[in-house]
Parts: sequence; structure tokens; C-alpha cells
Amino acid sequence: MADFFLHACWFLPLYGVVGALLTLPWSSGLIRKTGQRPAAYVNILMTVLVLVHGVLASQAIVGREAYRIVVPWLRVADLDLSVAIDVSPVALGGATLVALLCLLAQVFGLGYLEKEASLGRFYGLMGLFQAALVGIALSDSLLLSYGLLELLTLSTYLLVGFWYAQPLVVTAARDAFLTKRVGDIILLMGIVALSSYGSGLTFSELEAWAAASPVSGGVATLLGLSLIAGPVGKCAQFPLHLWLDESMEGPNPASILRNSVVVSAGAYVLIRLEPVFGLSPIAADVLVAIGTVTAIGTSLMTLAQIDIKRALSYSTSAFMGLVFVAVGCGQVDIALLLLFAHAMAKALLFMSIGGIILNTSSQNLTELGGLGARMPVTALAFVVGAAGSTCLLPSGVFLTFRHWIEEARDISPLGVLLVVNLLAALSLTRLFRLVFLGPVQIKTRRAPEVNWLMAVPLVSLTLLTLLMPVAFWHWDLLAFAPLAIAANASPIAAQFGAALLLLSGAIGFGLGLVLPLTRTGARSLQPVLRFCQDLLADGFYIERFYRVTVVWAVAQVSRLSVMFDRYIVDGLVNATGLATLLSGQALRYSSSGQSQTYVLTILVGTGLLVFLAVSWPF
Amino acid sequence: MLSALIFIPLLLAVAVGLVPERVTARGLRVAMLVASSVLFALALAVAWQFDAASGAMQLVERRPWLELLGVSYSLGVDGLSLPLLVLNGFLTLVAIGCTSPTLERPRLYYCMLWLLNAGVVGAFVAQDLILFFLFYELELIPLYFLIAIWGGARRSYAATKFLLYTAISGVAILSAFLGVVWLSGAPDFSYSVGLGSSLAIEPQIVLLATLLFGLAIKIPIVPLHTWLPDAHVEASTPVSVLLAGVLLKLGTYGLLRFGIGLFPEAWLEIAPVLATLAAISALYGAFAAIAQQDMKKMVAYSSIAHMGYILLAAAAGTELGILAAIAQMVAHGLISALLFLLVGIVAKKTGTRDLNVLRGLLNPQRGLPIVGSLIVLGVMASSGLPGLMGFVAEFMVFRGSFSVYPLQTLACIVGTGLTAVYFLLMINRVFFGRLPDRFGNLPPVQWHETISSMAIASLLVVYGLMPSLFLDWSQAQISTLVPRVIAPQEVIVPVAISPNQSDL
Repeated sequence: MADFFLHACWFLPLYGVVGALLTLPWSSGLIRKTGQRPAAYVNILMTVLVLVHGVLASQAIVGREAYRIVVPWLRVADLDLSVAIDVSPVALGGATLVALLCLLAQVFGLGYLEKEASLGRFYGLMGLFQAALVGIALSDSLLLSYGLLELLTLSTYLLVGFWYAQPLVVTAARDAFLTKRVGDIILLMGIVALSSYGSGLTFSELEAWAAASPVSGGVATLLGLSLIAGPVGKCAQFPLHLWLDESMEGPNPASILRNSVVVSAGAYVLIRLEPVFGLSPIAADVLVAIGTVTAIGTSLMTLAQIDIKRALSYSTSAFMGLVFVAVGCGQVDIALLLLFAHAMAKALLFMSIGGIILNTSSQNLTELGGLGARMPVTALAFVVGAAGSTCLLPSGVFLTFRHWIEEARDISPLGVLLVVNLLAALSLTRLFRLVFLGPVQIKTRRAPEVNWLMAVPLVSLTLLTLLMPVAFWHWDLLAFAPLAIAANASPIAAQFGAALLLLSGAIGFGLGLVLPLTRTGARSLQPVLRFCQDLLADGFYIERFYRVTVVWAVAQVSRLSVMFDRYIVDGLVNATGLATLLSGQALRYSSSGQSQTYVLTILVGTGLLVFLAVSWPF
Repeated sequence: MLSALIFIPLLLAVAVGLVPERVTARGLRVAMLVASSVLFALALAVAWQFDAASGAMQLVERRPWLELLGVSYSLGVDGLSLPLLVLNGFLTLVAIGCTSPTLERPRLYYCMLWLLNAGVVGAFVAQDLILFFLFYELELIPLYFLIAIWGGARRSYAATKFLLYTAISGVAILSAFLGVVWLSGAPDFSYSVGLGSSLAIEPQIVLLATLLFGLAIKIPIVPLHTWLPDAHVEASTPVSVLLAGVLLKLGTYGLLRFGIGLFPEAWLEIAPVLATLAAISALYGAFAAIAQQDMKKMVAYSSIAHMGYILLAAAAGTELGILAAIAQMVAHGLISALLFLLVGIVAKKTGTRDLNVLRGLLNPQRGLPIVGSLIVLGVMASSGLPGLMGFVAEFMVFRGSFSVYPLQTLACIVGTGLTAVYFLLMINRVFFGRLPDRFGNLPPVQWHETISSMAIASLLVVYGLMPSLFLDWSQAQISTLVPRVIAPQEVIVPVAISPNQSDL
């Protein structure tokens, strides 16, 4: 029986598709009598099925050889593409984790979107979302992963644009799609090039191809850079990081997934592509550089946000930056652990603020406060989530960081880790103080604790996050990432790594506690401080920079092409037409009716033609 | 069989003119729907009889006709023309399906539609140069009337522009055909691969350039394109569907059949220029689309961009490239037909296509949510989202041409990226946002209005997931369509030639 589930694991992504299709009668308005809730139930049932199936398959794979299911897809001329599924503990475990988080988010959504009229559409999109995520976890083919990433892009667009009547949502959905699309298009260039250079497009074929290092350094670098671009967009890394922040306008249950598993999906593809980056040292360096810049930059940006969701979303980018650094250093296993450790904690954070947003109808930090006593469960969940995503507890993140520092081959990640950890602790403490402590505000005065449909997933996820260290110990995950202790490992890092991490967390926490926070007049009056605050709140003005460069340039070029079309091309055409008409008009005066004139004209014309024909150089 | 596909529409065109006055437009439309279903079934029957494994021209018919001029009536179908034949049958059915039941002067309209159909089918199956030219010209006249009579406000300008452009295109094609037959001393005008190869390379290039000029107007390639947006904007929805879906394909069909077929050597010489033109077309079309304020014009410019990919693939001239060109023709035919259909519904229900006026149509109660969802799907197919047919075709195009023209291919990939830009602008404006009060009372969309869109949409998904379903028709024949130097000792350009290459 277990074998059956294992061999049928290719069906895991399809549950979501089936669920999405089954919502159509409700979302298209064919069934009105029942309301839209059944569509949600159908999808939740499908997710439960994925979870059960995933767990059974994961159990069956333990102690067995990993294998692949390869299905030829398109075989034309010299092109031979196949779709491959990776049946391995990591893939199945990843799929199960995704299913678990999807289930929690979907149940949470029942409570969060209690009064939503288009519940069917939302759950249909969530079904697609889940299908793509599970698929990426299982995919062993770059082409399939690319397709699923695009499906994610599309469903992100539609989910962010769920409340399409609001103006901010419209631009957010558009920007999310286009930003990711920029990354995806560059990734597509890389895929086309890879395929043209003779590599197959499954990850195993890619690895074999890369091992033979068939292309020159320059080409390899370009290839590597183009392959990086896709994940850069998906993981909201600099310079394609803006969409994640904007897309926080969408419904919260989707934000939970977006910040925990969707960004991880992009990073997972990056991890699978790691062998190709080995071809080019520059590509690997660029990965580290992008990761570092994003990690520190976005960590700083979180400090000045006044939108609670946006503050958290920037910290997602920061964490993904660390994953980029890990992949750039070739530490794939650390990267996987980071994804695992981060996903739970971040999902929990987003879930807890979901309750706050629903019950106070506000996500503006200056309007919140004093919720600790009113929403104790939510507050507790937030604390656990915050601790789980920094090094305050023996959290999964702490264990991974420590492992990384102690066994890393060089010291470079240590500085970044300490800075990111410090800033994360600082920012989360600031958020906690602003939301849960302090005086009660108008909007928080009557806020109740979340309803049970939201409380159940919230509490479950809190427990799961608390159990994270147990999971590390139980499955011996750190041994799963056996980094040979390099001879040149920095002794400082090895000895004091853990202490330094805890210290940085504590400093961040302490700074967060003493940081002066005012709700009224959140924007400082001191010019220097105010400048810094504005700079960070506006994300270093990168968006404005894009607006006056890229967006402006595209608009100008398109305006120019239209002008060219209308005035030059069409102008010429119309001028020719006009000239023909006018010359016809003019010529009619020359028709005098005298046959001699006609004969003369014909003679002269023929003569000219003959002369031209004779004297033609050919 | 192929003759039936040409002559039944011709007979219908005559017959429909004789239908008595008392038959209403509505009744006539039903009859025409039946007739076009039969013709579509016939096209499918041709596909059924077609032996995909054989590399030869099939269902060949050949009768002496104007022997004095060396023109014969000779038809045949192969892997290049068969998909287009079936596409034409399908889209004619769709076009009649989306014709307004209360049309004015329905007899003349359907008469023109059938003449157009006969011309298109004839051009796709003609195996004689002059016969092709005659059908190519035949299709022009009914289309002129279809635009000029049932069009929008500036219809006469658009129709005349179309007529002049296409007439010039016809002259160029005819002179290239005459040139190649007379110069090569061929006994008659029957089509054979490599007909022009006996000439020196210079006259070959001159003749090919003339031919390409004519075809480039039809495709259209920038800067010979301005007739298309005007024609689309003024034409009614069914005419736009046919124009984008089938008629533009005549140009690219000619490119593959006659450009490569008659002048394979010159093709290899001229191909780099074509690839660059293709990239320019793709980018120019995309940029121009971004700035459009009229939904239909935007789709028209996107057509120009997407036709550029076909040229790119053809210019690459690899086996995969040629196959990709065919795939992209079919994909673009379906996708643009879908988009024009849906834009037509939006325009019909709201009375405008202006992006500055339309808002919030996704509203589930009072808007057009189903049309909106279908447009999202069509737009995604057009911008090459994997899982839909557009991706398969575009991936094949890019993969087929990257090894030959990497820079031009990359430029075209940027073009696909821009497709998402302008279409998202359209969706965001038209479907997102708050539904304004003036659109609070839109007439409901009937099921028969969306059924053909749904059919096309499902085809896009099915072919997107299982592309071999339709590619298998053309696979075996590709090697005969690849441009190459005919004499084996003169091989200059390394072109992938498969081992089962038939001897010519």
C-alpha cells in the first residue's frame, strides 16, 4: 500500500488542480444556493488528501533509493524535452511541508475571509497556488519548474489582485506580475541557451552537463547570471524586490503562503541549479553579493515601515538573501535547512498579524497598540514566531545559523548573519511593542481574540514552531548537511559563533526595548533622523528610481514608436496617396484631346525607357 | 477532396446570393453555421486521410488548365498546409458563430465570407505558382468589401489602405513568380522545391527580395504594417478573427512555401537580414502596443509582434525552426482569434473599446466576469505562459533560432516580456478597478457568445499540455522544407539535415 502512494506521488500536484477546477461551479455563479463555502471545503479536503498522501509517501521512501519518474513531453526535430519528478526524501518532505502550510493557511482563510463574497474564486486560486508549490518541490526538470514558477506568477497576480476594485491592489498585482516576469524572461533566455548548448533540461542532465564544463567562461557567466534572475524575482531579491512589499495589499491567507513557501519555491529552484553556478565563479559571487545587499538592505528597511505586513515582508526578503548567500557559497544543504526553518516561523508571524488586521481593520502600526491583553493567543503566537525566526530561542534558525558558522569554510557569512539577526530582533521587538504594548488606540479598543477557525491553525502552527528544534533533533537534520570541517575554518567563528549569535539577538532585542517609539508624529522632526527614516521607509527610493528610469524609458520608447507609426510611416503612405491624387488632378489638364500630343508623349516615353534599358549597367 | 474544400464555398457564395428575401438574417446564419460545420468536418476528414508518416505531398490533384500559359490546376496538401487548412475551417466556423444575428445585408456578407474562404483554402493547397497567385488575389476582394461595408467609422480609409497595400503585395509576388519561371526556363508554373536554384545567386536574391517584399506586406513586417491596425480597428469582429487568424498566415505560409521552397540558397544569404527584421518587428510591435488606447488596436499591434517570431523561426531555417514557425502560426491564429472575439464582446456590451473609459469589468454581478477570465487566459497564452499553446510555439521558435541568431532571438524574448506589459495594462484598466456607474447595466453575455471562445481556450490548454497532438502532422515533412543548398558539393552553411532526407 505504501508503495502505491510512493509510486503515485506524481499525482500530488494534481490534487490542487482538481480542487481549483471543482470550485468553478461556485466561482462562475452556476451554483448560488449553497453560498460559496462548499468550494472552500472542497479545496481544504484536497489539501488534506495531499497531506495524507505526502506523509504516506514520505514514510515509504525512508530507507529506499531515491528515483525519478521521467515522462517524455515534446520530441520534435533535435529537441527532446521531458518532464521529470524527483522521488526523494527531500522532495517528498518538501511537498508535505508545503501541503501542511497550505492546509493551515486555507483553514485560516475560512475565518479570515468569513464575509467574503467571492470565496470560490479565492480557493480556486489557492488550489492552483498549492499545485504549483507542490509541483516545484517535486519537479526534477528545469522546464517543469519554470512552468510552475510561471503558474505561481500568474496565481500571485490573481491572488494579489483578488480585491481588484481597490486602486492600490491594481498596481500591486501588476507590479508583482511584471517584476517576476522580468526575472522569468531572463531565466527563459538562460533555459533556451542551455538547451541550445546541448544540455537536457532535467536537473540531473544539467548536473551531468555542467560537470563536463562544455562552455567557455564568459558564456558560463552569462548563463549563470540569467539563471539567477528567475529566483531573484521570485525571492524578492534586489533589484527585483519591490513586488513583495506591494503585494501585501492582497488577502492575508495568501500572504502567509507567499512569505513562507512561495519565496522558498524560488529559492528551491536556485538550489537545484547550483551545479551550473559552479561553472562560473562570477555567477557564484554575484549570488553572494545579491544576497548580502538584499539581506542587509531590506533588514534596514523593515525598521522604518509603518505597515505591519510590509515590515514583515521585507524581513522575508532579508532571509531569502541569506539563502542566496548560502547557495553562492555552494552550501546547498544549509540553504535547504534555512528554508525549512524560516517557512514555519514566518508563516506563524503572518498568521498572527492576520488576526490583528481582521479584528482591527487596520494594518497601520501607528493605529495599533495595547493588543497584548485583548488578544493573548495572537500575542503569544507572534512572540513564538519572532523567536523562531531569530536566534532568541534554540530555534531552527538558531541551530542552522550555528551549524553554518561553525562549519563554514570562511568567515564571510558570520558578519551578515550577525547583522541580519540583530536587525531582525530589533525590528520584531519594535513591532511587538507597537502592536501589543502601549496604550489602547481607537481601532484596538474593541478588538476581540480571533475566531476559532483562525485560532486552530494559529495554535497548531505555534506548537509546530516550538517543536522545530525537536524536528531537527529527531530527523538529525544537521547531520543531513554534513559540511566537512574545513582546515582553514576560522577558529573565532567556530568557538564563539553560537555566543555571538545569541549576543546579537540579545542586543537587537535590547535596542528594540529602549528604542523611543511614538505613535503620533511617527515621522521624526529631527532633520537627520527624518532623512534616514524616509530613506528606509521608502526603500532607498528604489521604486522612484525605477519610475524615472526603466518605466519612463519604456513609456518614451513606446510613445516614440507610435509617433513614428503615425507620422513617419503612415505619413509617407498618406503622402504617397495624396501625391498620386494630386498628380492625377494635375494631369487631367494636360489631356487636350489632340492625338498628336498623345503620340508624341508615347514616343518620348518609349524612347526614354529604351535608352534606360540599354544604358543600364547590368 | 481538396477541390471540394474550394468549390463548396464557391457554390455557397453563389447560392447564398439566390436565397429569397423572406429568409431572415437569423435563419441564414443558422444555415451558414451548418454549412461551415460541414466544411470544417471536411477539413478534418482531410486531416484524417493525411498520412503523417509520409514526407510527400498528399491528396494531389492535377488537371491541365490553361496549357497555353503553362498554368495547371494542381492541388496538394502537406505538413505545412494541413494545420492551416484545419485552422481555417475552424476559424470560419468561429467567425460565422460570432456574426451578429441581426446583420444588415446578410446575403452579400455571407457571399463575401465564402469567397474569402475559397480563396484562402485555394491558396493553401495550390501547387501551381499562378494558381496560388490567383487565389491570393481572390481573397483580397471580398475582404475589401467585408471591411468597407460592415466596418467602423473610418472603414473606407482602412479598406482602401488594405486594398492598395495588398494589391502591391500581389504585384510583387506575381513578378517574382514570373521572373523565376522565365529566367529558369521552367516549362510551366507548377511548383517544385528548389525551382530557382538553377539561377545564379544574384538574380535569385533579387527575385527572393521581390517576393519577400510582397509577403512582408501581408504578414506584416515593420515598416510595411500600418494597414493592419487600421484594418483591424475598422473591421467587425468576425472579419478581425479571420484576418488575424488566417489571412496573415498566407504571408508566412508563402514565406515557408515559396521563399524557402523556390530559393533555398538565396534564403540562406538573406536570412540574417530577415532575422533582424523579425526582431525589429517583434520589439516595435510590442512597444507600439504599450501606448495604444484602443483594445483592438493593442491586439492588432501584438499580432505584428507575434508574426515577427514566425519570421525569426523561418529565417533560422533549422528543422526545429521551420516546425516552430508552423506551430507559431497555429498558436497565433488561435490566440489572436480568441482575443479579438473577446474584445468584440466587450465592445458590443459596453459600446466602447477605449482603455481610458473601461473599468472594473471583472465585477461578478454586473460586469463581464467570464469574458474577463477568458481574456486573462488568452493574454497569458499570448505572453507565453507555460502550459498554454503560446509557450510551446515560442519556446520552439527561440530554441530553434538561438543557435543561429542568438542576439535577434534574445531581442524577441524581450518582446515576449513586453507582451505581458501591454496586456496587463489592458487587463488592469479594463477589468480591475471599480465598475463605473455608466456600465452598471450591461446586457448579459449569452452562452452562445462565449462558447467559441471557450472552445478556443480549451484548445490552447490542451495543445499547451500535449503539443505533440498537432505537431505530429508536420513532423515528418519538415526535412523537405528546410532551406539548403541543393547541390551537395556546394554545401556552404551547416544546416541540420536529418538522415532520412529524401533525395530531391
